[in-house]
Amino acid sequence: MKPLQIMVCIKQVPDPEGPADAFKIDSEAKKVIPIGIPPVINPFDENALEAAFHIKDTYGAKVTAMSMGEKLAQPVLRKALAAGADELILIVDHYFKELDSYSTAYVLSKAIRKIGAYDLILTGRQAGDWDFGVTGLLIAEMLQIPSINLAKKIEIRDDEIWVEKLTRDGYELVKAPIPTLITVSSEVGELRYISIRALQSVSAKPITVYRADDLDLDIKRLRARQILNLSAFQGQRECRFIEGDSHQQKGENLALKLREDRVI
Amino acid sequence: MEFRKQDNGRILVLVEREGQEIVPITFELLQAGKQLTDQIGGILCSAILGNGMDHHSKEISHYADEVYFLDHPLLANFNPEFYTSALNQLCQSLNPITILMGHTLNNQNIAPKLAYIIGVEVITDCIQLTNEAETGHLLCSKPVYGAKFIATFKLEKKPYLVTLRPKAWEPITPRATKSKVIPFTPVLEEAWVKVECTKKIREESISLNKADAIVSAGRGVKDAEGLNRLRGLINILGTNFSRVELGASRPLVDAHLVPSSRQVGLTGEKVAPELYIAIGISGSSQHVTGILGAKKIVAINSNPKAPIFQVADYGIIGNFEEVVPALIKKLEELQ
Repeated sequence: MKPLQIMVCIKQVPDPEGPADAFKIDSEAKKVIPIGIPPVINPFDENALEAAFHIKDTYGAKVTAMSMGEKLAQPVLRKALAAGADELILIVDHYFKELDSYSTAYVLSKAIRKIGAYDLILTGRQAGDWDFGVTGLLIAEMLQIPSINLAKKIEIRDDEIWVEKLTRDGYELVKAPIPTLITVSSEVGELRYISIRALQSVSAKPITVYRADDLDLDIKRLRARQILNLSAFQGQRECRFIEGDSHQQKGENLALKLREDRVI
Repeated sequence: MEFRKQDNGRILVLVEREGQEIVPITFELLQAGKQLTDQIGGILCSAILGNGMDHHSKEISHYADEVYFLDHPLLANFNPEFYTSALNQLCQSLNPITILMGHTLNNQNIAPKLAYIIGVEVITDCIQLTNEAETGHLLCSKPVYGAKFIATFKLEKKPYLVTLRPKAWEPITPRATKSKVIPFTPVLEEAWVKVECTKKIREESISLNKADAIVSAGRGVKDAEGLNRLRGLINILGTNFSRVELGASRPLVDAHLVPSSRQVGLTGEKVAPELYIAIGISGSSQHVTGILGAKKIVAINSNPKAPIFQVADYGIIGNFEEVVPALIKKLEELQ
């Protein structure tokens, strides 16, 4: 069996784990401005990378990571190479500014067609910025290949893809032909540890860059995400801290307070 | 008003079921649909997909103007290809202005596929909907950036397709009258299936969203031993609440300490219990977005700076291993 060709779509996003005060809203431009936090690979896409590397470790595979955007931070995305990707493709052009999900899937599907042979396409379940969770499945529709949503485990047996697909009360074991697109759930595990040395070792590795002209794109079909309004989420409550001389006493006082307030 | 009943303005709600049971999100969707039809006029419709589930259609007929029953052997169990195609066929026939679905795992699978086939955009995980006054376009608000912000998007091309977050709308109340049930038989072929389900594995079937009290564990609870310490709290709360469940934040689920059906948050369940006790949960926005509907939130965490305290009604800064046993003991005394 020749090595599997795996494509992993990764998105660059402001670190969603960053503290809330590291994000400001430009309500005029309807944009979120991250302050003092670097961009990261979307954590959900890191799950997809880990799933790809797990397959590579087990069966052997060539893993190609690809990312699309108006501007991309190479040092951030090189992390994919350091973690085990064989190739990194950046799809960059000013036309790709804040594209909506449909346009994003359109550009990525065109890039995947250009690259050609693939057995498996992996994406995260959603992106940590807009949290839509539709791009991966749209890519599959555009490429007219089967898709599986929310994989918690992926195996390859006899040229078939076997996936544990997350359901509300457990999972389904499904099998699909090659090629198939799979969106990956966090249950596959976090991206493996990457040492500084590994990061340094890929700092000069060549990266392939595609521009809009390199892809068979109809630029008129690209649309930016239309945001009408953007505001802070109001979920704050007034927290009453329960005091006490010891942790035990705090626990007891909590019980008393909950009873007093008729919560219980 | 641009839209009237006679404009054939149908709001289509997808009934959500699990096995033989219609699940609560259905009634929240119907309420959202009713608000839209109240605003612009129109017919509130619901679609139920299945095989021989006549009693469900009758139940739903107390809530909607029209009930479409898509009955087919291939719809007996959820399958993304068949469900998408069946819904598409109904939409071609009904021409609805809006399609509402719950933001459930199944619909996260079919919503983008349906959007693609119909040729429209989909906005997922919405918590607010309103029709723009002059145009009737649908304005949809949803939490973004892991629920740090709310963004409003505008859908201009019909049908407006959205998935709605559970617990964001109150359930609809039934009417005395019943509407008619209209059978609709889609054309489906077995050969369409490319992804074959070989086995269903049920790990644990719980409905966190039906619990009226939830004791939830996070990274600070660390391990199985830590989880065991919470059992007593769940038990004693059972004397005050009708259904108490263990919940968890994502780290414990990813560590396989707790099954994913108990995960609360952005990629887990959205819950709205009377009482939510967060133990050892730091309170990332991804977790907090799942508990905003809770009536009272208690947070126990050793880190005074944990963001969970910003959304809590009661807080204890302390080690849960010492706090929880004392809390249990006092609760027992108060019985």
